[in-house]
Amino acid sequence: MLLGFEAPSIDFHALAPEIVVTATLAVLILVDAFTPKQAKSAQSSIAGLGLLLALVPVVTLAVDGGTRVMFEGAFVVDTFSLVLTGLFLVSGYVVILLSQTYIAEGDYWEGEYYQLLLASILGMMVMASARDLITVFIALELLSIPAYMLAAWRKRDLRSDEAGIKYYLMGVFASAVLLYGMSLLYGLTGTTMLSEIATKLAGEDVPSAAVLAIVFIVVGFGFKVSAVPFHTWAPDTYEGAPTPVTAFLAVASKAAGFVALMIVVFGAFPFRVDIVEPLFWALAVATMFVGNLIALRQTNVVRMLAYSGIAQAGYMLAPLAVAGTVGDAAVQSILIYLMIYATMNLGAFAVVIAASRKTRSGELTSFAGLVRYAPGLAVAMAMFLFSLAGIPPLGGWFAKFGIFKTLVEADSAAGYSLAIIVGVNSVIALFYYARVAKTMIMDDVPDGDLSPVQVPVSLRAAISITLVLTVVFGILPQLVAGLTDNATLLSAVAVP
Amino acid sequence: MLAQVFSAVDACASTTADTAACGQTYSDFLRQWLTVAIFTGVAFGMGAVMLGIAAVLRPSNKRTGAYQNQKRIGYESGVDPVGSGWTQTQVRYYIFALLFVLFDVEAVFIFPWAMRLEDYGTFGLIEMLIFIALLALGLVYAVRKKVLQWL
Repeated sequence: MLLGFEAPSIDFHALAPEIVVTATLAVLILVDAFTPKQAKSAQSSIAGLGLLLALVPVVTLAVDGGTRVMFEGAFVVDTFSLVLTGLFLVSGYVVILLSQTYIAEGDYWEGEYYQLLLASILGMMVMASARDLITVFIALELLSIPAYMLAAWRKRDLRSDEAGIKYYLMGVFASAVLLYGMSLLYGLTGTTMLSEIATKLAGEDVPSAAVLAIVFIVVGFGFKVSAVPFHTWAPDTYEGAPTPVTAFLAVASKAAGFVALMIVVFGAFPFRVDIVEPLFWALAVATMFVGNLIALRQTNVVRMLAYSGIAQAGYMLAPLAVAGTVGDAAVQSILIYLMIYATMNLGAFAVVIAASRKTRSGELTSFAGLVRYAPGLAVAMAMFLFSLAGIPPLGGWFAKFGIFKTLVEADSAAGYSLAIIVGVNSVIALFYYARVAKTMIMDDVPDGDLSPVQVPVSLRAAISITLVLTVVFGILPQLVAGLTDNATLLSAVAVP
Repeated sequence: MLAQVFSAVDACASTTADTAACGQTYSDFLRQWLTVAIFTGVAFGMGAVMLGIAAVLRPSNKRTGAYQNQKRIGYESGVDPVGSGWTQTQVRYYIFALLFVLFDVEAVFIFPWAMRLEDYGTFGLIEMLIFIALLALGLVYAVRKKVLQWL
């Protein structure tokens, strides 16, 4: 007996951002296939334009307001997903600005680079709207598989090969763990819809296997956000990959991992916080301390940024440890942190890319005396670093403030203890951020070469955009806070 | 574990004398996480048992003579191998394998659709055309990149 088929009603307005990016991807493949090798520079412009074009429906959807639900609840467009789609599109655009000269001047495949980048961004956009285990998994793979290849993009460089292979193997391992957890969850509840799983897991007695499933799923996404002890791939991958790709992995890919964590924790386990909270408490504490303490000893700026990124992930994990008491406030503080973190971290990577055009190295000593021959770059870098450390009036302070506020609002021993640990770690972090600034401003230029750095227009644009946003977010935090005011995940879950 | 101790502390602090409640939360927590601990133990134990049995049963590596030499031969389905293990294969086969996977997956999606063509109607037809067009784009790309030429 065959069941009748009913065509799903598709809201094209809600899907417009994804459709625009997919169409851009198709155009890129055609342009790449039918243009001569000299004309490949058009690729980056088309990709950038496509991303900006996709922002238009995001804005119209935001103005329109409301929640749009499709495919029986598997795909939801609400404030939460719109804010994140916007974040992914803008950070993707900045990554394209960072890549333009880096990819064009090196001996790289240009067309495929932008195609893979766009495919990965598309996966992130789908992730923001996914509310179903299968959609979440497809989005995760769509964003991960192109990223594995991008990490190995520096052809004939052993470090880049190592970066790609490590990232791939660890990523696939994480996917396997995640899938195992998802299959257990499906077996226990008989559904892949997150909201239904939440209701099924709500009772007093939780089957033991559910604990395993939850742990496996959190561990699987823990790899993606490079939470300690699942962070081992991050430093090597970040150092070996081309620097624009590193920026992409450190910002967009990490953000997508957090999105997945938030969707699953708040969508499927809101009534099982008793299991989730201690797990996140331990992960956050380990991630903060290990990331910061190892970052102290780094002599390579990119590697230092990698470990600092691990530590920053620890701050973002902290609100999840009090998710049960504060609810959607945790979602909002993480969203604010993700947005501000994206601007300041992309900016720091942009300066590193610009400065290494002359220094040809990521070693800290090669950046000595940067202020003598590139004062603009040195000042911008110092601002990004102090913002990452959380010093007002730069954006970073508000991000940290949001985390502290959420942790203290929880009014529990777990919240207060985490707040103290975040505070201690912020102080540790300031040391290595300030050391880079000190080397750039106070130390002597290594070989006395004071010729200026040639900074191409695209990099100038990227640094200006991120610098302006970092300062504006710090002075007018209500701008970024206003965006996330209505971002909720719990409202979709029916209380049993 | 610490976090739960904290929440137990919270429970005790708020309900002052209700120590039984705090103890109850704590033991619930331990019981739940015991599953994870047992599972981890079984996972490690299974590995240890299997490797241990193998270590007891297999001929020791230190034994000299016939075993030693045979262990160094590459395994080829039980037959003595011919030639070196480092033979080269045309890398082109790899591209063809990739393209095969592309169309293989396409077929997996097209067969069920073709079986129930009438039910899916115009909607299904348009969906499938979009799907095939996107996959054809991959083929166009492959042709233009000259991966289908043998030499």
